[in-house]
Amino acid sequence: MNDKLIRLTVNGRDEAVVIQPLATLQDVLRDDLELTAVKSGCGQGGCGSCSVLVDGELRLSCLTLAERAEGAEITTLEGLNATNAIVPLQQAFVENYAAQCGYCTAGMVMAAKALLDRNPSPSRDEIVEGLSGNLCRCTGFAPIVRAVQQAADALSDSGEEAS
Amino acid sequence: MPELLRPGSIDEAAGLIARHGAAAAVIAGGTSLVRETYPSDGGYLIGVDRLGLDKVVSRDGGWSIGAAVSLSVLREAVPIAALQAATREIGGPAVQNMATVGGNLFARAPFGDLAPALLALGARLVFATADGEATQSIDDFYAGWSDGAPPGAGLLTRIEIDAPAGSAAYMKCARRRYSTPSVVTVAACVATDGGTVSAARIALSGASAHPFRCNGAEQAVIGSRLDEAAVTAAAEAAEGAVAPQTDAVASEWYRRRMTGVFVRRVLAALA
Repeated sequence: MNDKLIRLTVNGRDEAVVIQPLATLQDVLRDDLELTAVKSGCGQGGCGSCSVLVDGELRLSCLTLAERAEGAEITTLEGLNATNAIVPLQQAFVENYAAQCGYCTAGMVMAAKALLDRNPSPSRDEIVEGLSGNLCRCTGFAPIVRAVQQAADALSDSGEEAS
Repeated sequence: MPELLRPGSIDEAAGLIARHGAAAAVIAGGTSLVRETYPSDGGYLIGVDRLGLDKVVSRDGGWSIGAAVSLSVLREAVPIAALQAATREIGGPAVQNMATVGGNLFARAPFGDLAPALLALGARLVFATADGEATQSIDDFYAGWSDGAPPGAGLLTRIEIDAPAGSAAYMKCARRRYSTPSVVTVAACVATDGGTVSAARIALSGASAHPFRCNGAEQAVIGSRLDEAAVTAAAEAAEGAVAPQTDAVASEWYRRRMTGVFVRRVLAALA
């Protein structure tokens, strides 16, 4: 079977990529476009480390066939800020020590962004549910939940968007 | 490597399924199939993302749900608490944005936790076949599974449900609160007349090869006032009806025990 040319819109840029049959969006983002904030974790949809936004909606890039993402707006962690500056949500992760090894962090931030974009003032239970598809195996979830809570509080004070 | 085909019409998709038979698998959200597909596999994956099956239509007090509607969209569009509870307890938010109503009905145990809710609500499944449209009750759909394989009825295009004919409840027994496979999942819809149960639909998943309606448990509560004796009889009937597997999630023994416990809890919630 032949390789295929697809066109993706990633972090606001139009990209043309030659993919192998059934390549996943995770493969294309990491290996072809070198957007390595997209982590390769379980590859099974169980850990959330590969989370990206597709048309503003949280998705798992490991279970998304790249071909089917054509025409959609894809956002990775690298696309949260055009100048690559840290955004308030990430700052809240820093201030709450919400990253230890950091492998889950990019996925956590994307899940938190998806939650806050939809629900700017979530309860603690809503934060836990919003992050429920993302596994952390070293930091512990408490500081991560606190970080999202702090970001939500700061956003509701400032009236700004999550990123 | 399987070849991905993305038909642009339902007729074309039904034709591809009829032509390729067992060599074709329908891929919707991909949350099961992408991880189960290997480069050494042959055959075809038939995508349903270009068929316009992603809409929910409300009509005559009920809903017609496109087979490719995501679990998140279903939760927003159909205000039945038992169904909404089911969508929350399948995967995390990302999976719920991707996984579809139709796809979940074909998930292998211990996955597939939407089915008991739809069984309890008496859903009808509409298939496009090479010979036209065919409607099947969800009861018959699962009764037709053999050796763990779904019946080859064509392309599932929509799922139709009416407003619940009674009170409905849904509970999933799992090792964690969210994003985890089922130990056993129980849903029930019970109608009463003067305090006496006049009709009951009790459905289970996770503890057998495929979801099913538990007639023994239903018969135990019909005609009762959902009292202790009736609920106990229903729980015992359900424990006897499941055929649990032992896997990384739970043992056969634990699944059977939790079947009784959760049938009891669901009926208690409806009493």
